[in-house]
Amino acid sequence: MLISKEKCKQLGDLEIIHKALEEVDFFSCLFDRYEGKLMRYIKNLAPVSHQEAEDILQDSFISIWKHLNEFDNRLSLSSWIYRIVHNQTISALRKRKSYGKDRTVEIEEATEVVADMEKDTGVNKEELIRKVLDQLPLMYKEVLVLKFLENMRYEDISDILKIPEGTVATRINRAKKAFQMYSADLQLETDEE
Amino acid sequence: MKPSDRLIETIKKEGIQPAPKWRYTLRNALVWSAFLIDILLGALAFSVILFAIQQTDFNVLSHLSHSRLEFFLGLLPLLWVIFLVGFVFVAIHAIQFSPKGYKLTLARRIGFCALLSILLGTLFFIAGGAQKLEHAFAMNVSIYDSVQEKKTRLWMMPENGYLAGEITAVGPDKINLRDFNNAEWTIRYSDETFVAPVVKLEVGEQVKLIGKMDGAGTFSAEEIRPWGGQGKRWRKG
Repeated sequence: MLISKEKCKQLGDLEIIHKALEEVDFFSCLFDRYEGKLMRYIKNLAPVSHQEAEDILQDSFISIWKHLNEFDNRLSLSSWIYRIVHNQTISALRKRKSYGKDRTVEIEEATEVVADMEKDTGVNKEELIRKVLDQLPLMYKEVLVLKFLENMRYEDISDILKIPEGTVATRINRAKKAFQMYSADLQLETDEE
Repeated sequence: MKPSDRLIETIKKEGIQPAPKWRYTLRNALVWSAFLIDILLGALAFSVILFAIQQTDFNVLSHLSHSRLEFFLGLLPLLWVIFLVGFVFVAIHAIQFSPKGYKLTLARRIGFCALLSILLGTLFFIAGGAQKLEHAFAMNVSIYDSVQEKKTRLWMMPENGYLAGEITAVGPDKINLRDFNNAEWTIRYSDETFVAPVVKLEVGEQVKLIGKMDGAGTFSAEEIRPWGGQGKRWRKG
């Protein structure tokens, strides 16, 4: 560790950015601060292994570093970082030739954080959640993950996905309906079996 | 090695540098410039549309036959409508690329850009700039058929009951008129002739007439209206 944990803790996000522009080692503070959350987000959003998620995160932080001067402090730094990580994740997914065939959700991790979603939709079966998330279109999955798994506000989701807040609300409503519809269908199939 | 150490090592090893701030400042400046220029050009286009509408004189439409109506509606400046739509379209896209542009829905972006162009265009029209702009455009773009040229053609058909020109003499029941082809006319009128309130019937005034051609150089007027939309003067050339 180039900069001590204690020193990093004393600095705010914007201070880290300013210091990193003078001394690159400070950039590691930002990485350490967001690593946990972002790794979880990448895994929630895309069916990737831990190693793949780490690679996506590394590439994302290289991109953040390259665009550090672009950061507009009227936006929250967290939202800006999530936006870059989100785009990097989607881009990595698109690069996969077999996207859609090998999709698996890390259900153990997901289950812990989908408790809110379960309350909201009435779904409580791990397998069901995995299948439903697997089937949802990306545009619905991403808003559900951000809203219920990342506990983001509409404003943050709007900044991350670069869509108006009204559109965020509409998508969340539709995503919830789609989630309920898919889960009902799957439940029916399970019962028939 | 910790992932954060690996990141810093990669950055140092590959000599990756943050892109300079001026690049983003320049990009934002270009986006806002494109937006402002397009809004202004859209406003100019809208002002000419207003001018053309003013010149169209919708209150005489009831007199026109179908084919004449088509010709008359041809006065509407389709070219400027295309300009307006085009410029507003570019402005809508430009605002989308501004730092917070994504916060606005498409409907709001369209409304915002259109409203700005309409507002500025109306002010330009009220200030009298639209007529000058349209005239300058006609002077400098040879293939462009100006509103005035089209209007002159429309009103220079005495055999069909339309005539326009400048009053050269005024009598109790007739006036002398020099049309825009410099031909002299004697115009008969009576108490039954509709004379628009803004028409003063004085020498030098430009008017347009609806009526009937009686013979060579004579015309009976049923309506006398000002040549300009609001009775303003316009001289050819």
